Formats: sequence, C-alpha cells, structure tokens
Amino acid sequence: MLTAWASEIFLVAQIVSWVVITSGIAQTLIYFFQLVVAAYAFHERPLVKRSALLWRRYGDVVPPVAMIVPVYNEELNAVESVKSILSIEYPNFEVIVINDGSKDRTLERLIEAFRLTRFERPYEEALIHKPIRGLYSSPTTPRLFVVDKENGGKADAMNAGINVARAPILCAIDGDSILEPDALLRAVEPFVEDPVRTIAVGGTIRIANGSRIEAGRVTEVNLPRRLIPLFQVVEYLRSFLLARLAWSHIHSLLLISGAFGVFRRTEVVTVGGFTPGSMGEDLDLILKLHRHMMDSGKDYRIQFIPEPVCWTEAPETLKVLARQRARWQYGALECFFRYRSMLFNPRYGRIGFLGLGQMLLVDVVGPIMEVLGYILMPAFWLLGVLDVGYLLAFTALVFTYGICISVCSLILEELELRRFPNARDLAILTLAAILENFGYRQINNFWRIKGWWQFLRGRRAWGEMTRSGLSSASK
Amino acid sequence: MLKAIWIASIALSVISLMIMLVLILRRIVLERRQQLRNEHRSSVQRALIEFSETRDGDALRQMMSTVPPAISLEASFELLGLLRGEEHARIIRVLSDTGLAEQAIGLLKSGNKVERIHAAEMLGGFANVAGAAALLTAFEEEPSDDVRIAIAIALSQLGRLLPLQQVLGRIGRAGKESGRIAELFAQWPGDRLAELREFVGHEAEPPFARAAAIEALGNSGDPALLSFFRPLANDASAEVATAALRALGRIGHPGATDVVIEAMADAQRGDLRANAAEAAGRIGAADFARPLAALLSDDIWTVRYAAARALRLIPGGADVLMQTALGTASRSQRMASLVLSEGEVRC
Repeated sequence: MLTAWASEIFLVAQIVSWVVITSGIAQTLIYFFQLVVAAYAFHERPLVKRSALLWRRYGDVVPPVAMIVPVYNEELNAVESVKSILSIEYPNFEVIVINDGSKDRTLERLIEAFRLTRFERPYEEALIHKPIRGLYSSPTTPRLFVVDKENGGKADAMNAGINVARAPILCAIDGDSILEPDALLRAVEPFVEDPVRTIAVGGTIRIANGSRIEAGRVTEVNLPRRLIPLFQVVEYLRSFLLARLAWSHIHSLLLISGAFGVFRRTEVVTVGGFTPGSMGEDLDLILKLHRHMMDSGKDYRIQFIPEPVCWTEAPETLKVLARQRARWQYGALECFFRYRSMLFNPRYGRIGFLGLGQMLLVDVVGPIMEVLGYILMPAFWLLGVLDVGYLLAFTALVFTYGICISVCSLILEELELRRFPNARDLAILTLAAILENFGYRQINNFWRIKGWWQFLRGRRAWGEMTRSGLSSASK
Repeated sequence: MLKAIWIASIALSVISLMIMLVLILRRIVLERRQQLRNEHRSSVQRALIEFSETRDGDALRQMMSTVPPAISLEASFELLGLLRGEEHARIIRVLSDTGLAEQAIGLLKSGNKVERIHAAEMLGGFANVAGAAALLTAFEEEPSDDVRIAIAIALSQLGRLLPLQQVLGRIGRAGKESGRIAELFAQWPGDRLAELREFVGHEAEPPFARAAAIEALGNSGDPALLSFFRPLANDASAEVATAALRALGRIGHPGATDVVIEAMADAQRGDLRANAAEAAGRIGAADFARPLAALLSDDIWTVRYAAARALRLIPGGADVLMQTALGTASRSQRMASLVLSEGEVRC
C-alpha cells in the first residue's frame, strides 16, 4: 500500500517539477530575449546626449502638450511636483492638476503656493467622471490650471483632466513625481518624427530616494541609503531598460507607466479614456488602445524610449511595498482577464501572441510557479523523491541567472545611459543586484501571490502610500 | 547534466561580475576623461567669448589647436546657436581656418545616426564650402530618412537646396510623414514657393506632407495665394482641407468668405467645420454671423466652441452670443454663456 502511494507521489512530484521547470525555462528564455532585443534597440537608436540639441531641432515643430497631474492626499509633494513640472524645458504646454477630492490640505497648499483663483473654462465632456467642484487658475503662472473634483480614483481624475485639456497631446504624470527638465521634449520626439502613427510614448521611471532635490529638480543623483528602495532601483532598471525597451522595439509594448506617459488625445478619448475603478489603469489604457487601433485596422506606434526620465519616490518599508506590489499584481490580473479575448487571437497579431503571451507567463503564471518551486522542491527533497544534487544545481542556476539578468540591465545602463554619477554607485548596485535574489525576490513573489489571492476574492484596496516627501529626500 | 548545470551557474555569475568589474574600472577612467573634457570645453567657450570682445582670431585659433577638435566643434556650435548677424559671421570666418568643418564632415561620413544628424546641423551652421559639398554627397548616399531630412534642412540653410521633387524623392515616403518635413518647408526659400505649390497639387503625395506645405505657404500671408487655397478647402483629404482653411484664416482676406461658409456646412467632417469657424474668426467678416450661430448647436463640442469664440471676433458676433446666452436653455445657450464668461479671447 505504502509502496503504491510512494510511486504515485513520485509521479506527481515529477510532473509538478517538470511544470515548474518548464515555466522557469520559458521565463528564462523571455528574459534572455528581452536582453538581446534591448541591446539591439540601444544599438539601433543612439541617444542624443545634449537636450539643447533637441530644443534647437524640435523647438519650432513640437505640438502643444497638456500635462495631466492627478493628486490625492499629496500635500507633502504636490507643490514641489507642480513646480518641477512648470520648470520643464518645453516650448508650449499647460499643466492641469486634478485634486481628486483629497482629504488633506493638498488643494489649500496649491492655492497658497500659486495664488490660485476660481475661473471659468469651457471644456468638452467627452469622458465620464465625478463632478468637478471648481476650476482654478493662477495669475502668476498662466500655464497652470487646477481642477478640484469629487473623489473618484486616479482614472477618474485623469479623465477629468483630459476633458479640461485642450492640447492634442497629453502627458500623464503622477503628483508625487519629478520630471527631468528635458523629459517631455525627449518623450515627444516620436510624435514629431512619426506624427501620423505615434499614439503613445512612455519614458523611464527612476527612484529619487536618496537624491538631492532642490526647487523641484533632482540636482544630485544618489542611491537610496536603505536596502528596500535600493533593490527597487535594480528592479526598475531591469523593468525599463530590458523589458519595456525590448517589447517596444518589437511593437508589443503593453505598459506605459501611469507615472509618466505621453498620449495623443484623440485616441485616448476615442477609447473612453482611463477605465474608472481599474487597479491597473495604465496597463488597461494601453490594452484598450491596442485593441481599438487593431480593430479599426490602423497602423500605429506605442513606444517606450529610455532617455526621458521621471523620478519617483519608492516605498521605503516592507509594509507599503507589499501593498504596492499586491496592487500591481491585482491590476495586471484584472487587465489580463478583462482582455483575455485578445490572448493568442490571430486578429491581434503580436500583441495577442507575444505581448499577452509573455504576460500570461510572467505576470499570471510566473509568481505561482516560482512560489511552487520554492515550496515543493525542498518538500520533494525531504520526501526523498528529488535528488539533492539536482535540487542544489537548479537552485544555483535560478539564482545566478537572476543575478546575471540584473547585472546585464546595469551593463546596458552604464554603456548607454550612464545616469549614476560615479563608479561607487555601480559597485553598490552590482552588490544589490546579487543580494536582491536572496530574500527580496522571494518576498516579492509572496506579495504577488497575495495580489492573486485578493484578485480571486475580488478585494480591491489601493491602500495608503506613506511618503516622506520628495522635497525631503535630500538628506 | 548535473555538472553542466553547475558549470553554467558558475560561468554566468563569473562572466557577469567580471563585466561589471571592467565597467566599474572603465567608469573610473571615464570620470577622469570627462573632467578633462569639461575643462577643455570651458576653455573653448571662454576663448570664443573673449574673441567676440578682442576679435583676435590668431589667439582663438591658437587656443583651439590645443584642445581635441571634437570638443572645439561641439562647444563652438553651441555658442554659434546663440549668436546672430555680424558676430556669428565673424566667428564662422575664423573657425573656417581651424579645420572644424572637416571634423564635422568626418562625423557626417562615419558617425552613428545621431552623430550624422548632428554633423549635418553643424555643417548647416558653419556655412563652409567643403561642408556644403559633403552635405550634397551625403544626401545622395545617406541610408537613413531622418538623416536625409536633417541634411536637406542644412542645405536649405546654406541656400544649396536641390529642386523640391529631387529632395522629396530622396527623403522617401516615411520621411514625408515626419514632423521635420514641416521644418524643411517652413525654411523653404521665399523665391522658390512655386515648387511647394506644385507639390501640394499632387494628390498622390501623403496628406501630412501636403498639409505641411500648405502651412508653410500660408505663413507667408501672401493674399495672392487666396485663389490657390480656395479649391484646397474642399480637398478630399481632411488634413489638406483643414490646413487650407487655416491658411485662408491666416491670410484673412474676405475673398475666402464663401469657401469658409461652405466648409462650415460640411456635414461629414467635424474637424473641417471647427477649422472653418476658426478661419471665420480670423477673417472677421459680418457675413459669418449666421452660419457661426448655426454651429453653436453642432453635435461636436470643438465645433461649437470654435464657433462661439469666432463669434466674439466678428462684427455683431458678440450680440449674437449675448442673445443666445440669454435665450432658453439649450446646447447653444450653454456654449454661448460659457464663452462669454471665459474672458478675453485672443487670436
């Protein structure tokens, strides 16, 4: 009897092991593919180092841009962030800040800082959103408009901003972020070079924790002093310089970060703007845009370009980070299942096969397989159904491969962008790229499983993002 | 198998860490070099500013011979971008003896795409005979659309541009749909506008490029172009027709009144109606009052808004707006009152 059970356990163990290993190999191949394509993309598209050249080249032909900045309980960062946006180097832009029914003094801080007064501005009610309580303009800063509305969430606030905006190009930026002065000019470049096809462009998000910030600008780039944001620096590099660049290069980009994205207004309005209540409103919008453009048979481009940089404050505690990651996972699952009809659907070509295919492997199945691997492999070894030699060898390979991918993203960053000021930073990041594989990566997967669980239970929670404020990030 | 997995693991980690180590060492060297580059750069900029005071060309040449030509080229080009007139010409004359144009020519031949675009821009600014010749050669041989447009713009700055058909033939379809084509057309020599007119007439050309040519022609504000733009306001391409309406508005000649009114009645194309309303505001004829008032209840918000704004700019239009605003609640009443409360309207 026991022998019969043992053979069945052995068989199950073998099957599960192979499923986990196959999933791991598939993900490994995806990362390798991303690495090769990203390196090629950098080679294909050399960077313009000096933004003064871009100003000279595009200053007269760039389209007007409306910066849409939703803020909610951002009294610590809002003024600094708006100042940073107002100080960008771009010839023709307006800034529309949407106070999404903040419970703190966000609106009051803005009114005080920019001497805002109420005013009337006709706008098209093209998108649905919660009622607007008032519009404000600044006599000292004519580019700035503030929309005060009832709370409806980020997507709802974005939609209100899009309605009020008049420029043909929209730039969505988080209220807790800081744009580099030349970021918009660089991000709009594809709209100038390929104005007919380009409908959306995303830039790089970087972590400002530890950097010196003065008058709404990052004046000295430093690495975070704490380990959690430091690991996130490596994560962001991997995500933006490898994944996004690679998928963009093969026209399969599914995500433009909500913290900084540039869109053509016509298409955003046509697809109904951001989906209110969505936990992954940025991913949702891009999927909607892909579906709309493909359904209507139009040639289009959704691009990621690495040079425009937007700085953001990363969570510094495990508790806040856990909430953020679970939310991201929830958002990814919500979008994946909402647009599941596009998966492997020949009508949606490479978006259906490559874009959503990799989403299935990396975002949907990935965390489950990795956690299964962590739990089952030692369990099988304890039960004596797995050879210890193989267990150790595979574990070592998983870890060294993870290190290798992270280090490769650092290599790309150093060879192409070189944004970290000195050699010491590179050494620290290399160390972080190694260390994050031991503990941080595993706990991250646990949070993603938590996101899965919340998704299955239908529990939506944005959670509060506790911030210390970007203005105080310089210490 | 087991051994192979272990070897792969060790190899992966050793290779990646070794590369990172090399990059860290490389960075230390680069930091030192960058410091030196910055110092050289400052020296060149200082020398150029001193030259603008002392006009001592020999001193400038002497100084430039002591720094790498690439740095001199870059720093000079940046300063030249800020200068105009005689000052600009004087520096160009001195720089023509320093071999900087040759440096840019080298970059145009062998640089990467970004460097070649930059080289074309620099050669466009340096007004050097050899540079112009190199640009002409590169224009024929260059594989990238983006670089060819940059070269065409540079040649236009130097007054050495080839005939338009030849230029566009080389730029290609993708280039004709680049926003930079608008820049090329905007810089098009005033005595060669006939070529742009001829191009606009080719219906097979991309509407984007035709519209850009119309914009460039419209910027001249020449009333003689009225008869040229009139039929284009009814073009099958909405892009071309709206560009023609904008151009008619810019010319501001009342002779366009009938075509603008006709465009305002285009039931199919909202963009056209909005642009026609805007053009009506610019032309400012009283005849527009009635069709603009009708557009206040248009289905499309942008059309209603453009019509209301235009009404504020034409004789008697403000009265029409006021009457509508005081009338019974309707789409047009809301728009009229909103625009009246908006404040000063500027054209």
